Amino acid sequence: MGNAVVIKGTTYGFSVFIDEQADFTTICTELGEKFRESSKFFGDARMAISFDGKPLDDGQQRKLLDIIAENSEVHIVCVIEHNTETEEMHRRSLEEKLQALEGTTGQFYKGNLRSGQVLETETSIIIIGDVNQGATITSKSNIIVLGSLLGNVYAGAGGNQNAFVMALELDPVQIRIADTIARAPDKAGKMLWKREKEKPKEPKIAFRSGENIFIEPVSRTVLNDIKL
Amino acid sequence: MGEVIVVTSGKGGVGKTTTTANVGTGLAKLEKKVVLIDTDIGLRNLDVVMGLENRIVYNLVDVIEGTCKINQAFIKVKGYNNFYLLPSAQTRDKTAVTPEQMKKLTDQLKEEFDYVIIDCPAGIEQGFHNAIAGADRALVVTTPEVSAVRDADRIIGLLEANEIKQIHLIVNRLRMDMVKRGDMMSSDDVVEILAIPLIGVVPDDENIVISTNQGTPLVGNNTLAGKAYMNICRRVGGEEVAFLELDGKGGLFSRLFRKN
Repeated sequence: MGNAVVIKGTTYGFSVFIDEQADFTTICTELGEKFRESSKFFGDARMAISFDGKPLDDGQQRKLLDIIAENSEVHIVCVIEHNTETEEMHRRSLEEKLQALEGTTGQFYKGNLRSGQVLETETSIIIIGDVNQGATITSKSNIIVLGSLLGNVYAGAGGNQNAFVMALELDPVQIRIADTIARAPDKAGKMLWKREKEKPKEPKIAFRSGENIFIEPVSRTVLNDIKL
Repeated sequence: MGEVIVVTSGKGGVGKTTTTANVGTGLAKLEKKVVLIDTDIGLRNLDVVMGLENRIVYNLVDVIEGTCKINQAFIKVKGYNNFYLLPSAQTRDKTAVTPEQMKKLTDQLKEEFDYVIIDCPAGIEQGFHNAIAGADRALVVTTPEVSAVRDADRIIGLLEANEIKQIHLIVNRLRMDMVKRGDMMSSDDVVEILAIPLIGVVPDDENIVISTNQGTPLVGNNTLAGKAYMNICRRVGGEEVAFLELDGKGGLFSRLFRKN
């Protein structure tokens, strides 16, 4: 028996190395023989397979999988591609899809975030409860707090400059959107605990424009400018 | 089966030990079987506030390490039939005990007592974890200051993360005159931030200092703080008791005890 085909097995799969010089008929014969001989050893395991060495087209690959099926009990669950071009394409489209999802999908969290607690999310987040001073909330996308937001908040953590922060009471210690940071005005000489009780609390939104973060009451005009 | 209650605060000096002594004594006055455990290993002082320092032979660490039987370490409080103190060790540190050992101990004690009240050390390190290990509920003590309230908020988060669901708030050392001038947070301001039910408001009262220095808790006597602490004890037992009017005139009831 020649060495046109070399099979290496691991617990989870095979890598089949095919000599680049060998012609396809020899490869088929050898692969069949080798799998027939080792079929007892592998039993009816469910495994993954990858082909290295000689490049194969889809038809050839299918033919080889058929030969393996005929000559052994092994179930090939998937074929792993080493082709860097295909891999790069898969990676790109997956990341693009995930990034698109960040802006348009979100999750809910119910409860108060207290001092020392940190909540980080890949998607947008809606908090039903308060975010107290000393707590931190980070999202790659938007943050909405149905309660008082008094802690630290970081929206667009992946660099999304269109991210926004909205809260029923928006009075954070620090607010970051993408790479811009704003902090609450100093309260020198004033009571730190005093909230603006005179004015009724109104929902506010923070967004980035130019190099600055703006905080404004939620209005139709502001909402119209939101980009997801 | 009794309840294990941890008295905690995060920040030091807000009145955990005073609260433990007074709530424990008050519950004993209500004829409950009570044991107090000082878990502040290395900085013990619950025994001092209770006026029992001279009777300590064995302590919490001796019990945990098996040097003595638990009944040998108990100090019976004068004037009560079923009221004991398990003092802390002064010559060791917080690592002398583990949370698992504490839980085992409190599980055993609550079979026998109505209330096992644990005086927690300041901080959020091992001493805190020892103190809360076996707790069924918590009394969080804070003063109306931003630093104390911030630490209380952190503590409540940690209690919640440790599955202690019944958490009540005690606002200690409130000065009504300052609240009225707008120079101090009111108990409502504190509740608004911490978002847990209020179980008591204790006024800043010089009688507390006197009673601490004398080693006799003032709960149940005719002072404003004594009444406030007695009301807390009754609320701990599930009674609905109106909150005291704390502006010095006394006797008038204001708000009802809020349940959650």
